[in-house]
Amino acid sequence: MLLKGVKLGQTVLGVRGITKRFPGVVANDAIDLEIKAGEIHAVLGENGAGKTTLMNILFGLLQPDEGEIYVGDKRVRFRSPLDAIDVGIGMVHQHRKLVSAHTVLENIILGHPRAGRILNLKRAEEEIRELCERYGFSLDLRAKVWQLAEGEKQVVEILKTLYRGANILILDEPTSALTPHETEKLLASIEAMSRDELAMIPFITHKLPIVLAISDRVTVLRRGKVTARLETRQTTEQSLAREMVGREVIFRIERTQVERGKTILQVKDLAALSDRGFLALNGVSFSIREGEIFGIAGVSGNGQQELAEVLAGLRKAEGGNVLIDGQDITHASSLDRWQMGMGYIPSERIDVGSIGDFSLVENTTMNYYFDGDYSQRGIVDYGNIRELTKEIVDEYSVATPGPDTRAKNLSGGNLQKLILGRVLSRKPRLLIASLPTQGLDVGATEFVRNKLIEAKVEKSGVLLISEDLDEVLSLSDWVAPIYEGKLMGIIPGEKAIRENIGAMMAGSQSKGQET
Amino acid sequence: MRIGGSELKLEKRPALTGWNAALISVLAIILALVLFSLIFILAGINPLVAYQEIFSIAFANAFGLPLTINRFVFLVLCTCAFIIPFRAGLWNIGMTGQLYGGALGSFAILFAFGAKQANSFSLSPVILIPLMLVAAALGGAAVGAIAGFLKGRFDVNEIVVTMMLNFIMFWLVAFMIKEGGPFMNPGGRGESFELPASAYAPLFMGIPFTVFLALGLALLLYFMFARTKIGFQIKAYGHSPAAARYAGISATKIPLLVFVLGGALAGLAGYHYFAAVPGVYKIARNYGFFGDLAFYGIICGLISLGNPLAAIPVALLFGGLSIGGRFAQGKLGMGFGVDYALLGVLMITLVAFQFFHRYKIVRENTGENTADVGVHR
Repeated sequence: MLLKGVKLGQTVLGVRGITKRFPGVVANDAIDLEIKAGEIHAVLGENGAGKTTLMNILFGLLQPDEGEIYVGDKRVRFRSPLDAIDVGIGMVHQHRKLVSAHTVLENIILGHPRAGRILNLKRAEEEIRELCERYGFSLDLRAKVWQLAEGEKQVVEILKTLYRGANILILDEPTSALTPHETEKLLASIEAMSRDELAMIPFITHKLPIVLAISDRVTVLRRGKVTARLETRQTTEQSLAREMVGREVIFRIERTQVERGKTILQVKDLAALSDRGFLALNGVSFSIREGEIFGIAGVSGNGQQELAEVLAGLRKAEGGNVLIDGQDITHASSLDRWQMGMGYIPSERIDVGSIGDFSLVENTTMNYYFDGDYSQRGIVDYGNIRELTKEIVDEYSVATPGPDTRAKNLSGGNLQKLILGRVLSRKPRLLIASLPTQGLDVGATEFVRNKLIEAKVEKSGVLLISEDLDEVLSLSDWVAPIYEGKLMGIIPGEKAIRENIGAMMAGSQSKGQET
Repeated sequence: MRIGGSELKLEKRPALTGWNAALISVLAIILALVLFSLIFILAGINPLVAYQEIFSIAFANAFGLPLTINRFVFLVLCTCAFIIPFRAGLWNIGMTGQLYGGALGSFAILFAFGAKQANSFSLSPVILIPLMLVAAALGGAAVGAIAGFLKGRFDVNEIVVTMMLNFIMFWLVAFMIKEGGPFMNPGGRGESFELPASAYAPLFMGIPFTVFLALGLALLLYFMFARTKIGFQIKAYGHSPAAARYAGISATKIPLLVFVLGGALAGLAGYHYFAAVPGVYKIARNYGFFGDLAFYGIICGLISLGNPLAAIPVALLFGGLSIGGRFAQGKLGMGFGVDYALLGVLMITLVAFQFFHRYKIVRENTGENTADVGVHR
């Protein structure tokens, strides 16, 4: 281990002139980076800015074409992650790599050099417990991993790297799957760890407030180059976004008022079960008119996913009614609803909203094969759908070599643009958008939000389900916080106060707000 | 690997074109023949002579060619019967049971019109043969439908169900033709009653018309997957049932549909062998042999990557080699099953070469990048 006995403020990881080329792109272009012991150094950049490449180089998953890496003052070459682990670098991946049938303890010692032959579980447990206490993690080491919440799994990953002796922790999108409360706890622990001379490098795409809240310094990447190196104290959300995107970004969208039409969706006393058989949705009632956005804000797992699925016809309603244009469609198939003018943007854009092995044309076909204009007498008019796909790709600026590319080669933001374009091109009268901007970078998020507003201006009724309270507040004409399967109130957008809505999302009844 | 001034590297393929896939298969076949020639050499036979025998019997011999084509028809139908559910992400291991169902269906029509007592039989083949075809398709479809329904409605594993149905249908045929069932040969020879001559399938140059049926169906299936709504729905379900449901595609109907269609094609294969191939014209004592042969449909389907057009050359090759190998073995006096051994080697190389569907070998001049666009992440 090269890093024994480092002092606060000493440089522990230095990167000089790292360049990595892939056919057709320079993913990293002469990148310099300097990480000091005890600092939290955020690396910020949009999807495709070269963050992942840099991260993989630092962890030995990729070899740079040019440039040098120094740990302490010694030059190192990583042939594989094992070399990186050996010098004290640990990586916490965005997608958890744990064995879900094993306990927390077993997962932490899995792959530890000492766990090779004889397991001393007792000693390991004590050591890990000590680590937990030092950094304020509360975790049941005997629990099975599948029983844990996302935030706890993240902690397990962190403990795993710490237990292997990491001094430098690379965190890939550390908060992307966490609820606000979990995020807070995690950030506190990260700060505690950094005080222990550990260097923390969170790689973050879009959650600027988090960068501002925890990091000491920020390095911003754009198109493979470092565009800014800043002391966090001297920056603002606005300036970070500008460095990252390369232009001014509008965070607050003015709520456009549109003349509202007739009621399009009515939901009465709706109830539904979750996958595990619990009552996830319990007596939800609301209605949406043409030309308005109805925003449902809530922490994930409070029934909003089930609500979207019931409305889309993908989950059975256990009670209550759903009406479109006054017609009861509670038990109508999802195909019937599409044909009645419903459009659904699912939150699982990779598993549900698209088919990775299908071309973009075939993905567009998913929403058009039943449409009389694009398929007659059982024959699909692929020529026509191809033209339509090209139009969507142009209008929604989906970055892709062409309409015959497979969907799995698109980045998350581009895939979401394609799905959005595909659904909106049907001119749906009722649009259900579930977590439409989750995981997207700043540019794509802004784009998607504008498109939702456009849909509203064109007289669609929009149901927006989001875990991002600011998004709901800035876009919605009505704000309805959801908690444990119930709407805690329905508040006109212009009268919604952030703090009150936040409290209602956590279960308190509407506080004197008009309903 | 380095050769001279250049370096060979494996690279991921971005996408596979049909022609590339075909080229890879041809290379695999050539390699299989080269490998198998070692066995001929060990047996003291000149491989060139052996291959000449095999291929001339299979494809250029007045006696062998009709046998090859008959087996080809059977294999094409069984392969397509596998391919349809395969495109929906489901595994049909039950072509055997389904073809038995088809054979029983055809013979049920004959039985219903009194063909068992051949002297009293007088129905016109113009009516009878279409009826037998329909009954064969329905018989196979009915067997397939059981698996499709259970899969769609209750998510019961289709592999287990189709496999079990093979056994059930095997013994049902045994009952029908020899254990006291109505289709028993009056002579009691452990086989079914024979077709009356008027029900023989029309022949074209000694080949039953089913060859056109099989080719036509393969083309039709290709069209179905490439152009039609139903083909799109099957493919979407096959790639991602969740995404298909999102798009409004019924998760109960698609499994049922693909197994009904697949079963119907396997049923036609049953009609072909037991009611159309000259010289058989009955459910023979060794019907189990044909049942086993249906398993080649799985291999052919996998090799042709679920493409019904590719199934045609693949089935022709397998049909030809199995016939040619069998007869060459006798002619050259070899003491082992050349047909099965050769098909076995062929299968292994074809499957192994599918590695190149995902990767390709590129030559790189050391120090310089090729302009080839690979997949990077």
